[in-house]
Amino acid sequence: MTGTTTSQPLLSVEDFSLNFSGMEKANLIDGISFSVLPGQTLCLVGESGCGKSVTSLALMGLLASPPARVKCGRALFNGRDLFTLSERQRADLRGNEIAMIFQEPMTSLNPSLTVGHQIVEGIRRHNAVSSEDARARALEMLELVRIPAPEKRFDAYPHQMSGGMRQRAMIAMALANSPKLLIADEPTTALDVTIQAQILALVSRLQRETGTAMILITHDLSVVAEVADRVAVMYAGRIVETGSVEEIFSDPQHPYTLGLFGSVPSLGRRTGALATIEGSVPPLEKMPAGCRFATRCPFADQRCHREAPPRYEPTPGHQVTCWYAPLEDHVRAA
Amino acid sequence: MSQDAILEARNVVKRFGKPANFMRASSLVHAVSNVSLSVRRGETLAIVGESGCGKSTLGRVLLRLLEPTSGQVFYEGTEITALGQREMRRLRRELQIIFQDPFASLNPRMSVRQILAEPIRLHRVATGRAVDERVDDLMRTVGLRSDWADRYAHEFSGGQRQRIGIARALAGGPKLIVGDEPVSALDVSIQAQVVNLLGELKQDFGLTLLIVAHDLAVIRHMSDRVAVMYLGEVVELASADNVYEAPLHPYTAALLQAIPVSNPSARGQRQLLQGDVPSPTAPPSGCRFHTRCPHARPRCTEDHPQLETAGDGRQVACHFWREIQSAGVSVPARGEQRGALDKRLALYRARQAQRLETGI
Repeated sequence: MTGTTTSQPLLSVEDFSLNFSGMEKANLIDGISFSVLPGQTLCLVGESGCGKSVTSLALMGLLASPPARVKCGRALFNGRDLFTLSERQRADLRGNEIAMIFQEPMTSLNPSLTVGHQIVEGIRRHNAVSSEDARARALEMLELVRIPAPEKRFDAYPHQMSGGMRQRAMIAMALANSPKLLIADEPTTALDVTIQAQILALVSRLQRETGTAMILITHDLSVVAEVADRVAVMYAGRIVETGSVEEIFSDPQHPYTLGLFGSVPSLGRRTGALATIEGSVPPLEKMPAGCRFATRCPFADQRCHREAPPRYEPTPGHQVTCWYAPLEDHVRAA
Repeated sequence: MSQDAILEARNVVKRFGKPANFMRASSLVHAVSNVSLSVRRGETLAIVGESGCGKSTLGRVLLRLLEPTSGQVFYEGTEITALGQREMRRLRRELQIIFQDPFASLNPRMSVRQILAEPIRLHRVATGRAVDERVDDLMRTVGLRSDWADRYAHEFSGGQRQRIGIARALAGGPKLIVGDEPVSALDVSIQAQVVNLLGELKQDFGLTLLIVAHDLAVIRHMSDRVAVMYLGEVVELASADNVYEAPLHPYTAALLQAIPVSNPSARGQRQLLQGDVPSPTAPPSGCRFHTRCPHARPRCTEDHPQLETAGDGRQVACHFWREIQSAGVSVPARGEQRGALDKRLALYRARQAQRLETGI
């Protein structure tokens, strides 16, 4: 599925800004907008501190407020604004219509309860079913995520499983109530490459079978290439470029996107030094008023530092916020 | 053994834990099992494998930061596993290590100047005022401002801290540096900076690098030769080009298969390894990879394959590598169509180089 589908978005985030009390000078998340269609996968890509995890936690209602405060914006999920729901309404959605998978399954599973118990708990919180039925459903889920000998694993504690198995158990838990939206925060970062491949294949297969939409948060461009339909590249709390996965990979526009691609070594023969992004992300209080990437961008000038860049749309649905897009029209080759 | 080896391991074994007795079962972890390899002067050799394959343990045994259970390690022809404390300490000047986690490997109570001055004084590289000059030099060498030397490690970002770790390794004027996952804790853009820095330093100081890592793309970029480990054993050792373009061992092929595609248009069906790595406390009989190998046959469950020479300086430990190879191990194609990206990246690099020159 690509950007041309006309169905209604399942989730539509509009002009969302968030800050933390004590750091009001600049917004941690600054006016981001994106939407997810049913059955589609949106990847939020960016490096540590770009706000991708905070965004997902805010959508799940898992940020303590205060200190976190949604300054403006809406997040329409099936027509309801997630940011204005009561805690009770949110609790009914969470783990039911919207579910989440975290990076480190060891820290997000309860070490003192069996895996089966934790899956059953989630099922019974949202469905009026007997414990036998819930157990049957949990076993079905463990089988679905290809955990060998599910009857035996049902009574295992998280520490008795390998990292890959724990992540499978967490996926089983997240999908047990057939959510419409799954938020996966770096689900494979802690795993070895052969296990990562298994988990990515599993998630894609389950998504095809159940029609669940997914927001996948990652810093790894190859994971994006593997699973995304649409991509939003985040830098310092803003989305600098968004488009279909084909557009982002075949026609990347924003200097930050280019720098990210250039930083990843290719698997082909070696071709000299890697391109780099100089320096590091400035602290929030030193963020430039204009483009936030200006302090590290090789093309930045005075205007970039002062004035917020305009939005440029090379093709419908592909948007980039940069004064110099497309680069080849504005910059002469040296 | 081979052309000008600077460091050589002979039948190195490292086990942790205790063997079984009448009270309890064995807790022996077979971290490294009978590994022999040599590091050539001036090359970058990578040791690659999944968690628990023994790659970090091997790296540490090679520097004698861990004592091997059996086997020998030779540096410049001297058996370092037989040296006394004092001689070993003298040698440490030439054998250095960079750790994965720059947050955990720098003393938080010492200023960067103290951290860097310690090895300089210890190895008598300089004394008195010259120490400070040497520290300032090192800071600049790794791309940090020398007037930051009086700050503490926590005042630096992750990438900067890793640069400090590199500066510390360089302090004594080493000949060989082991990098234990030197960039895996860093963000991609910072990772690229450090990878480039290591490449430059290797050139400038004529270093030999031994990189222990799990990121296959980073290894491809950095190394000349690659040793692939599985459950404590080297299963394949060859030039980076050979390993990535025509792997001989089925495990190497499976590792390459598991790398996510680099372009959405290359998505497709891949043969993925099933199951987890078995526990190194009870490695499988015969070939340790047979429980997950798509080509396994009865012989593999009983007969342990030795690392054998396969021509072209390659080594592989598999009974059936010839047949598997002639059947064609499928390596995913890495043909990349990146027209617009390459064009704009060229502009990006050119402008960046220009700015660095003019010093803006």
